[in-house]
Amino acid sequence: MKNLKNIISVLLITLSLISFKATAQISKVEIRAMGLTCSMCSNAINKQLESIPEVISVETDLNTNTFVVTLIDSNTLSPKIFKDKVERAGFSIGSIIITASSKTVSDDQYIALDTINKVDTTVKFQVLDKGYLTLKEFKKKVKMYKKVQTFDVENENDFHIKFL
Amino acid sequence: MMKITFLFVIIFIGHRTVAQELFVMTDPASNVPANSLSINVMQSLLKKRINDGYNYHAMPEITYGLNKNLMFRATGFLSNTNRGFNTEGLGLYTKYRFLSSDDLNSHFRMAVYGRYSFNKSPVAQEQIEIMGFNSGFETGIVATKLIDKIAISTSYSFEKVNLKANPGLIKGTIADNASNYTLSFGKLMYPKKYKSYKQTNINLMVEFIGQTLNENGKSYLDVIPAIQFIINSQARIDLAYRQELASNMIRTTPNGFYFNLYFTFFNVTS
Repeated sequence: MKNLKNIISVLLITLSLISFKATAQISKVEIRAMGLTCSMCSNAINKQLESIPEVISVETDLNTNTFVVTLIDSNTLSPKIFKDKVERAGFSIGSIIITASSKTVSDDQYIALDTINKVDTTVKFQVLDKGYLTLKEFKKKVKMYKKVQTFDVENENDFHIKFL
Repeated sequence: MMKITFLFVIIFIGHRTVAQELFVMTDPASNVPANSLSINVMQSLLKKRINDGYNYHAMPEITYGLNKNLMFRATGFLSNTNRGFNTEGLGLYTKYRFLSSDDLNSHFRMAVYGRYSFNKSPVAQEQIEIMGFNSGFETGIVATKLIDKIAISTSYSFEKVNLKANPGLIKGTIADNASNYTLSFGKLMYPKKYKSYKQTNINLMVEFIGQTLNENGKSYLDVIPAIQFIINSQARIDLAYRQELASNMIRTTPNGFYFNLYFTFFNVTS
């Protein structure tokens, strides 16, 4: 009986390790919001982000309007939900930096604009599409990535990313 | 019944929150957050021009943000203007934000709006006023610019009072429509540096409101200085005083005090 318990525990631990390695998921999101300078406005974004069921916590720096969002394991969120939520509060995203398992970016919705160090189990990247950075920066990126055919095409469901 | 009460409590206590409105008298081009419900009560004590004393008005309002661009508001009009304190009417307001351009610590927005008011009070002045005075409609356009801690907003509207719905007290023919223009400035005075959502914010504001009757060119211009406290990043308290600067039209109560209490409840439906 004791042996069985041990075997089960070992199996469970192994399984959880495998699943941890295998799942594609975003674990942390750092958003700098723009279009606001008041704490009420900031709280409006805070509440919108907190309304996402997969969110564990939202930490805010009111002076820079930066929101650090921590997410639960094995979520299937894409960057779009964060853009939608910030816009529903009445504002927009100035920059978004995502920490995710390295398997996440092998999904078709992510188009890498540079190469990735595949040794790491987690990766950090910035989304460079329209609506995920300031308009000025986006225009710069359009020039920079004019050879990437999908970059300037309006598509809400693909994300052009740059590793940090 | 218990379930409904419980749900009500969850919605209203569980999701207490905020709005990003800035001004006391005029609505900016920014909308309330999507899926949020705001409740406020605007009270005013306006000095009577002819007789001694003050008229007291209370305007409870409920505002709903349908999505990031469209909001609706219903306003109740109560006052003691006509023999005792009575409910005198209801107003409906909608605003559509058609332009929004954000940058770090700044934004520019534009919106169009419309208002319809029903009010049983008789027309007692030349001033066209459908907020708490008479029946009629208003339609306008507003632009708001925010740069760091300063917000500037300006609007133009057409306002028409329904003279037939309110048998007037003024003898002879009077104008029934007007052009309104507003210019508002607001500045965040405190805190200089944010520490938490709990910190009280203090805004200072000054607004200019003008009206010209389209038929005869009679006009007025008022100034409204205001102080605003934002408590816990959730509630708003506004104190303002309205003072006539110039006028050549008949007005019953141009000068007086305004006191507004404002709350927003977030994510009212999931």
